[in-house]
Amino acid sequence: MAVRSDEELVAAALGGDTAAFSELAGRHRPRIERICQRFFSDPEIAHDIAQECFLRAYTALRTYRAEMPFSGWLRTIVVNLCYDELRRRRRRPEELVGDFSAPEVQWIQLVNQATPEDLVSAAEERREAHDLAHRLLDTLRPEDRMVLVLRDSEDLNVSEIARMLGWSEAKVKIRAFRARQALRKQAERMTAAAHSGKEP
Amino acid sequence: MNCFEARQDFPAFWRRSLASERRAELLAHLKSCAKCDRAFRTFALTAPVLYSAVEPQSRTTARPIARDARRTAAATRAGTDARRWFAMCASVTVIAAASFAAYLSVTAPVESLTDEFADNETAVQLFEQDLPGSNNDFGG
Repeated sequence: MAVRSDEELVAAALGGDTAAFSELAGRHRPRIERICQRFFSDPEIAHDIAQECFLRAYTALRTYRAEMPFSGWLRTIVVNLCYDELRRRRRRPEELVGDFSAPEVQWIQLVNQATPEDLVSAAEERREAHDLAHRLLDTLRPEDRMVLVLRDSEDLNVSEIARMLGWSEAKVKIRAFRARQALRKQAERMTAAAHSGKEP
Repeated sequence: MNCFEARQDFPAFWRRSLASERRAELLAHLKSCAKCDRAFRTFALTAPVLYSAVEPQSRTTARPIARDARRTAAATRAGTDARRWFAMCASVTVIAAASFAAYLSVTAPVESLTDEFADNETAVQLFEQDLPGSNNDFGG
């Protein structure tokens, strides 16, 4: 049996075929969950937001227009859900950088000493590399983090991000610049704190 | 390869999608340029989230334990706060009730037994009927 395209499955789902929507959800779920994981370290939160994304997509399916790829439409929904959640759970940056576990300190030391190739391999195996990266990203303002993830992880350009978030292109550029600047500062603080064994 | 080109290649290098020739060029550049080497190490701190295709499933124990401890402490604090709040409300209620009772005892009109029966003819009659009998009991 031939694999049906996203658009065919959407049409079938609109005609009342719920199995077609399940197939769509199964097809896109890994990617949608991966986007959520770039914003939230807790897998439960990432899973819940992905679930909410498919719920919203199902209820708003009639508003979907085939000029846009279905995957892009879903991404817009999930990105906006992640943005809302980031704003809701915004924490103060000073709570986030400091208080490292022994594996995290080891990872920071490795980052400063290992060869670039060894670093790539080590990061794939170490959970603490992900945890620390999330803690660093958590220090950013929600809008800065949003721009950084969409630019760097999703490879979207400025105009695509601006359209997706309903911002001006200038705002996207400013946010990207500020995000990188803030991240560099926080990374330096984190490295210094890990080396001195004190909180920054 | 200049510094700008080198930094442009960081994501592809991290994703292992850089052509081998380009990869060798980048590694050579990082060895010779201290600024780019530092930039790469800063990049490596967030790359596991921003550029990795998958997250490692094995979770180190140190962070979850610390996190759980913090959550437990927060839950305990929340429970203690609730108990304190309840005790405070109970104390306020008791104090308010006692104050109200004291207020009533001071301000309510206190009538004597005579005042109570002054206008009550039946009571007066009963009183007058019973009194001699009672005296007789003691008189014998």
